This record gives sequence, C-alpha cells and structure tokens, in this order.
Amino acid sequence: MTRRLLPSLNRFIPGSGLRVAGPIAAVVALALAGTACSPVQPAGNDNNSGGGGQTTAGQDVFGDPAKADQVKQGGTLTVALSADPDKLDPTLSRSLYSRYVFHTMCEKLYDLGSDAKVVPQLATALPTISSDGLSLTIPLKEGVKFADGGTFDSNAVKISLNRHLTLAGSARKSELGPITSIETPDPKTVVIKLSKPFAPLTAALADRAGMVLSPAAVAKLSANFSSAPVCVGPFKFASRVAQNSIKVVKDPLYYDADKVHLDAIEYRIITDSSIRSANLKSGDAQVADSLSTQDAPTLQKDSSVSVLQSQSLGYQGLTINIANGNGIGNPLKPLTTPIAKDPKVRQALALSIDRDALVKSIFNGLNTVACSPISPKSQFTSDAAQVCPPHDPAKAKQLLQEAGVSTPYKVTMITSNNPDSLRLAQALQAMVKEGGFDLVIKPIEYASLLDQQDRGDFELLQLGWSGRVDPDANIYNFVATTGSQNVSGYSSPEVDKLLTDARQSTDQAQRVKLYGDVVTKLQQDDPIIYMYRQRNLTGVSQKVQGIQVYPDGVIRTAFAGFTK
Amino acid sequence: MRRYLFNRLWQSLVTLVLATIVVFAGVRALPGDPALALAGEDRDPESLRAIRQQYGLDQSWLVQFWQFVSHAARGDLGQSIRTGAPVRSMIASALPVTIELSVLAIFIASLVGIGTGVLAAVRRGGPAEWAANGLALLGLSVPHFWLGLMAILYLSVALGLFPASGFVPFFSNPVDNLHHLILPALILGTGLAAVIMRQTRSSMLDALSADYIRTAEAKGLPPKAVVGKHALRNSLIVVVTIVGLQLGALISGAVVTERIFALPGFGKLTVDAVFQRDYPVIQAVVLVTATAYIVINLLVDLLYSVIDPRIRVRGEA
Repeated sequence: MTRRLLPSLNRFIPGSGLRVAGPIAAVVALALAGTACSPVQPAGNDNNSGGGGQTTAGQDVFGDPAKADQVKQGGTLTVALSADPDKLDPTLSRSLYSRYVFHTMCEKLYDLGSDAKVVPQLATALPTISSDGLSLTIPLKEGVKFADGGTFDSNAVKISLNRHLTLAGSARKSELGPITSIETPDPKTVVIKLSKPFAPLTAALADRAGMVLSPAAVAKLSANFSSAPVCVGPFKFASRVAQNSIKVVKDPLYYDADKVHLDAIEYRIITDSSIRSANLKSGDAQVADSLSTQDAPTLQKDSSVSVLQSQSLGYQGLTINIANGNGIGNPLKPLTTPIAKDPKVRQALALSIDRDALVKSIFNGLNTVACSPISPKSQFTSDAAQVCPPHDPAKAKQLLQEAGVSTPYKVTMITSNNPDSLRLAQALQAMVKEGGFDLVIKPIEYASLLDQQDRGDFELLQLGWSGRVDPDANIYNFVATTGSQNVSGYSSPEVDKLLTDARQSTDQAQRVKLYGDVVTKLQQDDPIIYMYRQRNLTGVSQKVQGIQVYPDGVIRTAFAGFTK
Repeated sequence: MRRYLFNRLWQSLVTLVLATIVVFAGVRALPGDPALALAGEDRDPESLRAIRQQYGLDQSWLVQFWQFVSHAARGDLGQSIRTGAPVRSMIASALPVTIELSVLAIFIASLVGIGTGVLAAVRRGGPAEWAANGLALLGLSVPHFWLGLMAILYLSVALGLFPASGFVPFFSNPVDNLHHLILPALILGTGLAAVIMRQTRSSMLDALSADYIRTAEAKGLPPKAVVGKHALRNSLIVVVTIVGLQLGALISGAVVTERIFALPGFGKLTVDAVFQRDYPVIQAVVLVTATAYIVINLLVDLLYSVIDPRIRVRGEA
C-alpha cells in the first residue's frame, strides 16, 4: 500500500484547481485498487479432486460421522470459507460456496452419498420413472416441519419447483429440463411431468434444484427470500454480515434434531489460503475449505489437524477457441489460426503435456491426471472414458510438421491471476516447448477472464469446471453446438447426437456407452484438453468430529460435534 | 467569509458530482459485469439476460446513472446485486469497524512513533537512534500483507496471544472487541508509526537547537522538562498535521489488513465489491468516501481560514 503523502496535500493550496482532482483520484484509486489483487473466486479453487483410477498419490478421505458418545452437546463451529457465498436463495444461488451453507439449513429431495450415488433425503425413495421416461413419481417424508413451523408436503415441493422454473434470473431452470407440470395427487407424493425424457433430473434434485423452500417465507419475501431464508434443515438462518460471515443456529423443529450436536455454525470468509490454514492451526476456525496443495502437506503432518480429501467430479483443462469468433450465444465464426483450424495442432498440444509430471511437481501429487470430462469415480465411467493419450513430444512435433506449422508455434493462453493458476501456466509453458509450442501466458483477474471467454477474445484458455453428479452437466453445455458454455465454439453433429441420445436415455448401460463414445470423439477433436482433476482438500481440527466431504465438494458439517 | 464559504461549497458539490460520474463510468469500463461475476462458472445466456434485466443493467448508462443519483438523493443506495442486502445497512455496519480500527492504529502508531522519535532525537548518534531509524525503515518498507501473515503465524498460531480472525462489536463485549482488534491495528499502524517517528525526530532536532530551548536550559530547567514541556510540545504541531495527511494511506492500508484478519470493515467491502462487480455497492462506497473526504477537507480549509485571515482575504478577492 502506498504511503506517499496522498493528493490530500492539495488542501494546502486553497482555491487550487487541484482540489477537484485530489479526492476523485483517491476514491477512484480506492475503488479500483482491488483489480490488481487476487480474485475472490479463483478458477482453480472451486473444487479439488484426487484419488481414483489414475491416481498417483493419496486416496480419498471423506471423514467419519460423529460418534454420539464421543461428542458433547453445544458449541459454535467456525468454518473458514475461501469465498463469500452469493444470495442464500436456492433458486437464485450460483456460487459453490452457498451450497456449503445450504447443506445445513436447506435439505433437498435427494442427497449424494460418499460413493457419488443419489440417495433420498426429504424423499423416502428414489423416483419411480415411467416407462416412456416422461413422468417421475417422488414419495415424500411425513411429519417434517419447516424452520418457521410450516408443514412440509407435496404442495410445498410444487411451489418450490415452480419458483425454480419461473422466477426471473433463476439459476435452476436449465438444470430441471423440460418440465411441463408438477402434480400433487396427495400430500406425500409429487409427480413431475416432462415433455421429453431428461435423465439428469434426479441428480439435479440432489442439488439446489431439489431444495424445498417454506411456502410462507416465499409468500412473504418473494424475490427477497435470501434476506431471511427458511427451509427444512438441522440449522436455520440467523444472520449474515455481507462479505464477512454467515451464522446458522440449531433448529429445534428439525425432524432429526436429536442427531444435531452443535448450537451454531459460523461461516467466516477468509479468501487467502495461507491465512485459512493459519486460522485452523490457531484454533480460530475448526474447518477450512479449499486448502492449497502447497499448504496441505504441512497440515497433514500437524497432529492437531486432519486433512479430508475427495476427488472432484469436475476437471481442469485448456479450452481452445475454434469458432467462438462472435462471442457466446451468437452464430459460430471459425477462427483462422492453425490451432483453431487443424485438429492435428490441438492433438500436438495435448501430446506435449506431461500430465503426470504436472500433477506431481505443481500439486504435490495431490491432484490426479484427467483426460476426459468423466471422473473415474462417476457411475458413468468406462474404459473408453478413461483412455489417456501418452505424453509424446516427438509425435507432437511430427503432427505440427504434418499440419504445415513452423515451430516454435506461438500460442497465447489466458489464465486466472491466482498463484496456483500461474504456477500451472508456467509449468505448461516449459513443458509444451519440447513439443514445438511457444506458450505466451496472459494472467487476468477472474471476472475479466469470464468476460473475455464469453466474448471469444482468446486463443487458448485455462479454466476448469467444479463438476456435477450427472455427466450431462459436465459435458453437454461445454461441447454441444448449442451448449450454453460452448466457449470453444466446437460443433460436431456426431457429438451432438451422442449427447442428446445420452441425455434422453433412461438405460444406464446405454448412457455409459454413449459417454465413452463422446470421449473418444472429443480426444480426436480436442476442443478442450482435459489435464487434471482437483482434490477437495478440507482441513479439520482434531477438536471436532463428524465433518465429512463427499465428491460433490460440499463440506458436511451439520451433524458434527466437539469432542468430549 | 460568506462568499468564501459559498465558493468552497460550490467546489465541493462539483467534486462530488465528478467523483460520482468518474466511478460510475469507471466500474462499467472494467471488463465483465455483475451478472457475469455472479454467475461465475455456472453461466447460461438466458439467466445472464434475466439478471441484467432485473437490475436494469440492460438499460443505457444515462438511465442507470439517473436512477442511481435520484435514489441516492432520497437516501436509497440500492441493494447489493450479489447478496441482495440493502447497501445502506452494509455500509452502516462496515464503517464503524474501519473507524475503530483506524483510530486504534493511530493511537498505537502515535504512542510508538512519538516515543521512539523523541528517544532518537535526544540520544542522537547513539545506538538508540540507530535502532529507532532501523525500525522506521522496516516499518516503511515491509508490506502489511506479509507482516500480517507473520503476526498471525507467530502471535496467534505459535503463542496464541491474539485471535487470528473475527470481530466482536464494541458494545456487545468491549474487552473481546479490543482483543480482536489490537493485532490488526498494530499491523496497520506500522507504516504510520515509522512516519511519525521520523517526523518527531526531525522536528525535535530542530526544536532542541532552537534559542528558546537554550533559554530554558539556561534558566536551569531539568532536562525532562526541557524535552517534554518545551521541545516536544512545539514539535507536535507538525506531527499532528502529518497524522492528518496520512489518513488516506491508513484507509488504503485498512483494505489489506481487513482482508487478512477477516474484519467486516469498509475496505474489505470495497475491494470485494470491485471483484464481484457489485455496482450498487461500489458506487455507494465511493459516494460515502468522497462525501467524507470533501467534508473533512472543507472543515480543514474553514479552520485554516479562521486561523489565518490571509486565506480568507484571498478567497474573497
């Protein structure tokens, strides 16, 4: 921070014209100073991963449930969160971090087990799907109360789903697919009708789209639900200090209140990973999310802290701009650069990357190699989905020669300006040199990066996706011609057909086969070069029990307790 | 005097309007917008459009500016796009934290700075001066961020003397409040302490060689009284002015300190709002800062004109 005598000095020049410029300069500098620092929501920190089929290092450590006789009742758990959640409204929320908070106060129709399989939460069983795939029947729990005392029933579910589908700015609408109507034959049954089969729906109901809001609170607060959210959950919303902390307190009306040990949970926003680690060590926080792979090894040696690890369902990769010349949402306009025109050049870049070395040297072996959008932990994985082209710089050079490109071939990559992303970019730069590429790195602040990405103003882009349970949510939007986030501008009728078939099939084996075929085609065309899967690293103090992290990346704190 | 006052008020108003326009345009000139920052990785064009429509971001800048100004004139600063909370209450809860932090930092910095400054001047050429100068150099050159991290590692993690993060409002528990704020205030005050020390030292050296000090010594006053009552009191005038001038630097330092110690202050609010392109928050924060800056400047100028009639006369000319 500057310690120069600020422009306020001009107050000594009464009547001077400088008087106007001084305060403006000061306030503008204050407002804009932030753009030079690290982003609030860094690309690499959304979700981490590890373990699994191609893992080179440790295995998943999800944590264990608390043992009732070993924990005491009461106490406030402090969770250090790496970013501020956005609106605490399940319909409008988009940030991963809001899911950490929702998990304690907004239960869903379905949840995810540690094996990444969908299990009932407010429903009593998995949905019964009609043979034509156009109708889902969901049986609901009885005797459940909202935190405001209202009764949870099929009507409440209907109101919430309708809100997700119709509220302006809803982030859930696209997740729910082609729903035509929601019926409530009785208070404990909901029937969802679809115009086309939509296989990802059950998984969507295991995320925010499946959260049920109190009808009374919705009626009272309408679009301002986030100011005092009310759902069914072990905890209920208490207070929020914007950009600093969120507090939830135990809900005595919760149907399983006996299993809740803590009085309250405070989420404290601490964006720097070293400071989160320090808070964990000092005891000011008992849980810290998104630990850096640089800090994790030290914490693993600390006897007062344990590190939970779970492999992400998402990926980190390089997106190549093939035909996003007009910006996303506009007609495709193919670029004329060799890397955009010729798949051989993209294959050469993929062959130049030594994923194993990358994971070992940059991430202390904590992340895992990835060559496809389908995690080996997913129910939809197959041999075809896990094929990985070997590191082969000689072949890369040969491919470049065949493509008629003179080496070193210069490509410019934009990347987020956080330390982890920069380290990765520098390692890549050194690595692809051997394959005949001259990689130029352009670090950009996160929101600007998203802007450039959507406008198609890039050649190569390093960014990832935190991952969802159903593979459709990890592939379709990114590589289908009409995908909402097809920033590569990729268009392959073959891939489009495979993805649409997979989306509409209710036969799991068929979906597995179709996704395998998608991966094979994607590895030939390389619109995205998948590199590695992050590992969710969560630090937990030994003073608490029952903190768990599942593959969806959400830290489960609701049933934790302080050790006796 | 009335005309001078009128001129100054008029200038202040122009400054405020210009500051508002510059920031309004400035934040919109940044790449990305609130909808994009809000959506993060989970973006689809339809909902981006809906968000933009909902917050009037799809309207012309002129319409958006008029809406902001007309609402602000009625005291309505809008709602945060990211969290939906009213901006006025966000500022109202953040401002006292930063003010308390800054006051505490000034207090600590003055205590340390004046103490070491006097020592360095009185023990000129000795090891005390070397030590004080060394400390001042360190205070000026070590960045807050690093110093804060070290303080957390050694004073919070290793020794457990202070909490590493968090905040307790003064009126809910004053002792806990101070316990949480001392470390951040100490870090924030390091740069200021160094500036005060150097200023005190040089003013004291000037004062100590002045005639009135020789007179005081000749009168047979004890050294303590000479230094404390005569030299220091006269040196403090400049020091107090310097503290006032450093206020701007202190507030920008608070941005970093508040982020390190997770304090819900004004600086953290501003920077996070910029990252999230939360236009209503950024605009309101700037409006409040600019108003405060202008009011303080105005008061200081008026004070000068009271003290020094020449300024008043020139203003009227």
